[in-house]
Amino acid sequence: MTPSNPVVTVINPGDTTKPDPFTICIISNPALEVPWKTGQFVVDPITSNKSAFDAAAQYICDVLFGRLANQREQLLADPTIGPKIRVVSLFVTGLRAQDANSLVAQDTDSNLLIARRTVFRPLLNRYGLDADVAYGVSASPTHTRASAWYTSDDDARGGVAFTLDGVSLSHRYYCLIPGTVAIHATASSMTALHEFGHALSSYSNGMVVDLYVDSSSAVNCKAGRPIPPQFAIYDTTPNLSDPVRDSIGYPSGWTSYHCELIDPGFPALMDDYWLAPDHIPEHSQHDKITRRFLTDRVRAKIGR
Amino acid sequence: MEPLKPQRKRQMLEASPAATPQEIAEYEKLLAERFTVDPDLPRSPESLELRQRKTDRLKELRRKLFPEAEAERHEEGQTR
Repeated sequence: MTPSNPVVTVINPGDTTKPDPFTICIISNPALEVPWKTGQFVVDPITSNKSAFDAAAQYICDVLFGRLANQREQLLADPTIGPKIRVVSLFVTGLRAQDANSLVAQDTDSNLLIARRTVFRPLLNRYGLDADVAYGVSASPTHTRASAWYTSDDDARGGVAFTLDGVSLSHRYYCLIPGTVAIHATASSMTALHEFGHALSSYSNGMVVDLYVDSSSAVNCKAGRPIPPQFAIYDTTPNLSDPVRDSIGYPSGWTSYHCELIDPGFPALMDDYWLAPDHIPEHSQHDKITRRFLTDRVRAKIGR
Repeated sequence: MEPLKPQRKRQMLEASPAATPQEIAEYEKLLAERFTVDPDLPRSPESLELRQRKTDRLKELRRKLFPEAEAERHEEGQTR
């Protein structure tokens, strides 16, 4: 079937001197898989609500670039980074509800929306687009909670080398499968940026995991008790641990612990930002190692 | 994965008095863990078996934490 009625909007042109600048795409999900992994598809209601999609795309851009009211995390607002990032939205209607057009599924065991990660790139390619990180926006009537898959890096290609606790890794220039986010049209506050933290990180070169559950070791999480003073050495930089998990505290059964915060008064952005003590989630920022890791990873990609 | 809002956790506990905050935490952990393994890479039989055990536990917790949804699901199954 010929794609119909695509509206491609270049929200931020990015580095126009590059043939393939680091790109974030925001796409209206043509078809929902209901439920996940069943092969049953319905047209996503977002396809008939362009104003809701446009509002969601605007929100995603605003939080990515640090423009929400009260927002303190300014990772991509850096004037040496933000202007080099290409952001494109794609609104498409009239596609058949089938596998190749379904970017988002409804989870069976929760109200999570789940990105169908391998469909994003082929679908984008049909419109002459590609992405390093992509958001599928849904207006599912029942599933409203966002989730993300990490990037599958192309480890056969180049990157910028770094070490984490002496282990050699690389901020790869390119991916095999982009980082993908499934997000609801009504998402708000820090959600799109929290998911970006996951999606930009990598299965093979460092995952940025959720800190509000007792996660396994990753870039931003370690396991063990007692909590040691030093969290990790990133390249030559030592990072301290967060001994108390800001205002939230580590539950007694947990073994995981986190990196020192930039602002110890507020939860890390990958933690439960809804628990900000002043009830302003926009005050949450990344912890120190996550900020450094994500910044370096973006810099590698915009420099490719 | 987007964290649950505190009011949502409260609603879950109200809707399912037999559930505990620890079970919500375990449910959340199992949900989050699903994203930490590349789903498009082959897995060993051992990891598939472990995954299945975790999936079974996740479904068990879902039934406990969302009894109304579970009842609806059961009803739908019977009318088909």
